[in-house]
Amino acid sequence: MERSLDMDIDRGATVLPKPPDQSARPSALERTASLEWVRALGVRIAFAVVSIGVPLAIWYLGTRYRVQFYIRFENVPTPLEVFRAAVHVAASNTFATNIVSSLKRIFLGFFIALVFGVVLGLLIGRYRLVNRLLMPAIEVMRPIPAIAWVPLSIMLWPTTESSIVFITFVGAFYPILLNTIDGVESLDGVLLRAGRCLGASEAQLFRHVILPGVLPNVFTGLAVGMGVAWVSLIAAEMIAGQYGVGYYTWEAYSLVNYPAIVLGMITIGALGLLCSGGIRLVGQFAMPWLAYVNGARK
Amino acid sequence: MTHVSKGRIDCRNIGVVFGSGAAQTEAVKDVSLTVEPHEFVSLIGPSGCGKSSLLSIVAGFTKPARGAATLDGAPIRKPGAERGVVFQQYSLFPWLRVRENVEFGLKMAGVSRAKREGTARTLLGLAGLLAFENHYPDQLSGGMKQRIGIVRALAANPRVLLMDEPFGALDTQTRTVMQEVLTNMWQRFRLSVLFITHDIEEAVFLSDRIYVMTARPGRIKAEIRVPLPRPRTAAMIETPEFSALVHRLKTLIREESLAAMGSELDAGGVAGFSMEMGPNGVEEIL
Repeated sequence: MERSLDMDIDRGATVLPKPPDQSARPSALERTASLEWVRALGVRIAFAVVSIGVPLAIWYLGTRYRVQFYIRFENVPTPLEVFRAAVHVAASNTFATNIVSSLKRIFLGFFIALVFGVVLGLLIGRYRLVNRLLMPAIEVMRPIPAIAWVPLSIMLWPTTESSIVFITFVGAFYPILLNTIDGVESLDGVLLRAGRCLGASEAQLFRHVILPGVLPNVFTGLAVGMGVAWVSLIAAEMIAGQYGVGYYTWEAYSLVNYPAIVLGMITIGALGLLCSGGIRLVGQFAMPWLAYVNGARK
Repeated sequence: MTHVSKGRIDCRNIGVVFGSGAAQTEAVKDVSLTVEPHEFVSLIGPSGCGKSSLLSIVAGFTKPARGAATLDGAPIRKPGAERGVVFQQYSLFPWLRVRENVEFGLKMAGVSRAKREGTARTLLGLAGLLAFENHYPDQLSGGMKQRIGIVRALAANPRVLLMDEPFGALDTQTRTVMQEVLTNMWQRFRLSVLFITHDIEEAVFLSDRIYVMTARPGRIKAEIRVPLPRPRTAAMIETPEFSALVHRLKTLIREESLAAMGSELDAGGVAGFSMEMGPNGVEEIL
């Protein structure tokens, strides 16, 4: 008896929650619902096309008519020139190498920032003693932008590679740390009390109450941190780099290869978008309960 | 279900003090109370009388300034699984599904997955909530969340249940239903319960015994036994015995509420409210 129950539970655990009456819905209604869904998707895509299309059109028209209205489109490459440059570099290996080395630096710096930011954030948020010991130093260091670390970082670290990863880490670290601390400090106290009177030890509280409780804040920190990490990485690559998208963009400027500048910029934008999209996706997967929290959404 | 043979709460000469120095106020003064094994005891009193402070001491969240609380003779020093607590605020873990919430206490105790799933499903079934085992708390109504809160506390297999105005946040209709649900569940589990409320009908309907507390500093003003038969049903609310008990308690509480407001009334509180207002109303006074 107990065994069969367990099997039921195993199957039940993977099913998404839905009201018990949903299985009895007529299929006509489902069809309407799916039609509605396609329509909503269409509207969404239309909005996205307008959102991206308008700046593209301004760019095209500005370069097409060589507009000079305080800002100068004189030397700005046209969309077609940039597209040609893209086709050209797509055939070469160096461009792919640049992308891969930028991604490597981002992931390494970001991952180290994630581990340090979350662990320190949990400890600082939870224990007053750790807070008093570490926060003064952090408050002093925090206003120093990651870019300002470039010269010292080159001196400190044995290789260019490690100094660039360090700068990326610095950029991503503070948003992750501060959001984690904020998450711990604003966690609803009744959840901790509930955990304790259900028999949780301090370690269990960390693992089963505090960590999942601050996960939404951590992901906010990750999203912000990823943005700052890219800013820091590109700056570091422009100044100190060998390879990397930032290096590519700056090199293009030095070589008066104007289409390549814009191509570099667009590549940075696309890679950044990909990274934050990845974080959002992981966040949705890691925090399925948030789908039912509406907040102030209209 | 495992049978609980113990579960006696003893509070001896408890005193609670808030603040320090000149701002020090005595919230609870020399309170002694007992909950016998398998007994449902309510603690009622005007707001601010320190009834929640007392529960917090028994739960182990705070320490009394004077006196001591014990469970089956052992002094209470910190929160523990043997004392289940149901809070007034919703306290389900929003990241866990309903069944995982119910399993939480057993998981902390290291009970195997299969076993705790079985227990959780049995209890959810008894509470009529099995259909929602895979829901997240944010998908449920307030009354359901509180029912699950009770089930979660029970699932950890506590010796006593401490309830701090668990239905305080619910609307009157849901409240009435919840009281019936609770008395039915109590009938089945027969745990010792210490129940905090300011709702007199609720206390009478649920309890074997009721302690009435005075206004601050909170002391025990009266101890009243509820002779209504078990199991309790909604129909009992209409009986003259029920009304008589409610009336008696209301008189006791009213005295205390007046006493609590007394200082304000003397200081011109009422005069202030009945003040004649000019055409500009409150603005003029300000």
